Amino acid sequence: MLSPVPEPLVRFANVRKSYDGTVDAVSALNLEVARSEFLTLLGPSGSGKTTTLTMLAGFERPTEGRIFVDGEDVTDVPVEKRGIGMVFQNYALFPNMTVAENIAFPLRVRGVSRGEMNSKVMRALSMVRLDGFGDRRPQQLSGGQQQRVAVARALVFEPRLILLDEPLGALDRQLREQMQYELKHLHQRLDVTMVYVTHDQVEAMTMSDRVAVFSTGALRQVDEPRRLYEAPASLFVARFLGESNALPATVRQHDGGSCAAALATGETVTAVMPVRCAPGSAVHLVVRPEKILLGKAAQASPNRFAARIAEVTFLGDQTRLRLVAFGADDFIVKLANTAGQETFAPGTEIDIGWQAEDCRALAE
Amino acid sequence: MNRHHATGIVMAFAWMVLGFLALPAFAVVPISFTDTRYLAMPDEHWSLQHWRAFLSNREWHDSIWQSLWIACVSTLGAVVAGTLCAIGCWRASSRWSERVRTAMILPMAVPTIVYALGIYRLYVDLDLVGSAIGIVFAHTVTGLPYVVLTVSASLANIDPRLEQAARGLGASVGQTLRWVIVPNVVPGILSGAIFAFIHSWDELIVVIFIGGRAFFTLPRRMWDGINDNLDPVIAVVATGMILFTLLVLSAELALRARRPRS
Amino acid sequence: MPSQSDTPTGWRPRHGVYWLIIMPALAMLVLLYLVPLADVLVTSVTDPKPGLDNFLLLFTSTSVQKTLLTTLRIAALTTFVALLLGYVVAYAMRAANSSQQRLMLFCVLLPFWISVLVRSFAWIALLSSRGPVNAGLMAWGLIDEPLPLVRNETGVLIGMVHVMLPYAVLTLYANMRGIDVRLVAAARSLGASRFQAFRMVFLPLTRPGLIGAGTLVFILSLGFYVTPALLGGGKVLMIAEYVAVQINDTLRWGLGTMLATTLMLSVLAALWALSRVLDVKRLFGA
Ligand SMILES: Nc1ncnc2c1ncn2[C@@H]1O[C@H](COP(=O)(O)OP(=O)(O)OP(=O)(O)O)[C@@H](O)[C@H]1O
Ligand SMILES: [Mg+2]
Repeated sequence: MLSPVPEPLVRFANVRKSYDGTVDAVSALNLEVARSEFLTLLGPSGSGKTTTLTMLAGFERPTEGRIFVDGEDVTDVPVEKRGIGMVFQNYALFPNMTVAENIAFPLRVRGVSRGEMNSKVMRALSMVRLDGFGDRRPQQLSGGQQQRVAVARALVFEPRLILLDEPLGALDRQLREQMQYELKHLHQRLDVTMVYVTHDQVEAMTMSDRVAVFSTGALRQVDEPRRLYEAPASLFVARFLGESNALPATVRQHDGGSCAAALATGETVTAVMPVRCAPGSAVHLVVRPEKILLGKAAQASPNRFAARIAEVTFLGDQTRLRLVAFGADDFIVKLANTAGQETFAPGTEIDIGWQAEDCRALAE
Repeated sequence: MNRHHATGIVMAFAWMVLGFLALPAFAVVPISFTDTRYLAMPDEHWSLQHWRAFLSNREWHDSIWQSLWIACVSTLGAVVAGTLCAIGCWRASSRWSERVRTAMILPMAVPTIVYALGIYRLYVDLDLVGSAIGIVFAHTVTGLPYVVLTVSASLANIDPRLEQAARGLGASVGQTLRWVIVPNVVPGILSGAIFAFIHSWDELIVVIFIGGRAFFTLPRRMWDGINDNLDPVIAVVATGMILFTLLVLSAELALRARRPRS
Repeated sequence: MPSQSDTPTGWRPRHGVYWLIIMPALAMLVLLYLVPLADVLVTSVTDPKPGLDNFLLLFTSTSVQKTLLTTLRIAALTTFVALLLGYVVAYAMRAANSSQQRLMLFCVLLPFWISVLVRSFAWIALLSSRGPVNAGLMAWGLIDEPLPLVRNETGVLIGMVHVMLPYAVLTLYANMRGIDVRLVAAARSLGASRFQAFRMVFLPLTRPGLIGAGTLVFILSLGFYVTPALLGGGKVLMIAEYVAVQINDTLRWGLGTMLATTLMLSVLAALWALSRVLDVKRLFGA
């Protein structure tokens, strides 16, 4: 209790938002963003990411709950007083101003002197590698360049926090990857806090210190990308991030963090259980396809089952097997194409298995 | 909150301006029921005396009839010529047809008084002043822009691939026109017709110049009435004209609701 | 590949049929519209004798100059007031929800379609010394004598603004609808107050709309006849009525056509200038 936990930069305290008074766009949100963190809000369309962001920016007011920035309650502070930079999905560059004027805008409204303004604009332009583009109109720039102007404009007034709502959504894949890298680089260099919205899980994994997964207005889990992938707390998160095999099962008995569960086909499996479920309740046993052991390796594992190979797909860096197992035919195994990796043929009977710590029993 | 304050003031002011726009014309309605002999609101009680005077006045009836048939005939002319012109320009689709389309809006842009002088001089030479055909032609030409504009607008909404598809499925040019193009522009034609009709129905300045002694359309008789003696009977006529316009306008709105928007 | 008919090479044999159906309207426009206008132009430099004598009157005749000044003054005032009021209405329409918007649009379109004559007559009735406006003001004790609201420039201005306001609102609204709402949101998030966001972002973006609406209202006002004639009661002579008086009362065709020509050429010149900035056909409801 007394350990010096640093005050988070942003804190959502029990925030609920309903636009129409009947459905909650965001419900019971408790979320903290640490200083200098790159936090991504990830979730399917309509899950409440933009709503969360716009409440933080100040465009929408929470129906319930409070929002704190730097320990100060900003719930009723108007947008322009929050000092939060925002990058919009379609950039929202002012077409009536040049690139330099766009970037100077936040300084102008703050009454910054002309000389200081010029030097800050120049610095911001070179930060996003657009030196010499100051006199152009936004319409004369490519999508990627416009994107960088929007970022420069959000950075130039040195806000304590920058919000980005699907900033790369309109770019093609190659440019997207380049911009991901550049944004991440900027984040590290400037030591600024960023809250980023995307529905692309790869993007979220690449860029973030932590990822907050949303579904239907509720925050499901916040964690580092690796932990989110390796230790999903719910079936939704496991399915949303990467591929997984999910086998329906019933809890037989539990013991601390692990449990024994019975599959529909009768086999009993030992699995990790992050959230405790009473014996008799229905869960899914989730195993990542790349954690499956085959053949001899499987025979040595505590969970061992018989299966038959239905399909083999070669994907370059990996091989993907579809197996008939546990009474279904959609059990997926991924094998990295390392040196000496044995090959498989469809129709082969084979043993499969996994380590107990690679299998998680998760409720819906 | 402050924000609602500002928005509220703007909204309230806007509604006041909208009231200024929409309401004044309706002042003629109570005035037409006035019990006074001059233009005023009903003083002691509402009276039908001016409505009775209107109903028993042959001159007003003749004017209504004249206005009506002139508007109908010139609308017909404007719709036929205007629709054909719009379709022709659309298909010819060249620099020249674009110029024709631009020229077609001239009658909307050039002040009517200028045209009134010109057409009067022409009709004096052709001995058409005070003739029905003269007025109908003048109203047809000045009604053309409405039809050309509305039909062109609905043509612009037609996907060019629609025509290509029809031709690709084996339809001839004529069949394509009849089954694909025209059904898609019917709402545009009807809107244009309504606008051309209202244009002729309300037209005053040209008629003053070329109407001669034979043609006193409704607007012209009102004009004379207002200039001579502000008789409350004019309020009765104005009330009738407002009702009529509302009727035509709601027909147009109903059409617009049925027209697919691009 | 664009189809052949889409290439702007124009006159070819297979287009003959299309030009044939363009013909009736084009012939009418030329013979019954352009020829009369040309006749006005020609008369202005030939009546009573060939030369530019008529146009010299623009610089020498005090009554002509007075009319021109009155016309320009009233047109400018009308434009200014219509833009001001129109801007507020268009802005409110943009901010309103869709059911409010429909009602607002109806209020704008309604007077658009009621005859100018009827509306001018209604204003005469409303503003006359025994009319309801004066009666109301006196009943409230705000004034003792009826205000002279009609048969003077005040009346003309009220009537003209009433006629021109819908044009201003519709043009401005079309322009404002094209402005991305997120731009204002972006300005706010970058630290601009409501007013700053309006002044620095929204207002500059509505400039084309203001220019378009302003020019349209101004040139339409220049040629107005009915409203100034009725609400001015013969005391406020604008150019169109002055022309009519020359022809009908004094039969001075040379002066009348000269003024008509001047009027027409100014309007067309303004439209041409405007067409370099925006699509003029749009303004007329295309
Ligand atoms: N202005 C609004 N008025 C009413 N409902 C809204 C509004 N904005 C969002 N919603 C609703 O709130 C819910 C959450 O929307 P939100 O925009 O936050 O989703 P999102 O996660 O950003 O989705 P996407 O990935 O599609 O952008 C949705 O059901 C949406 O329909
Ligand atoms: Mg969103």
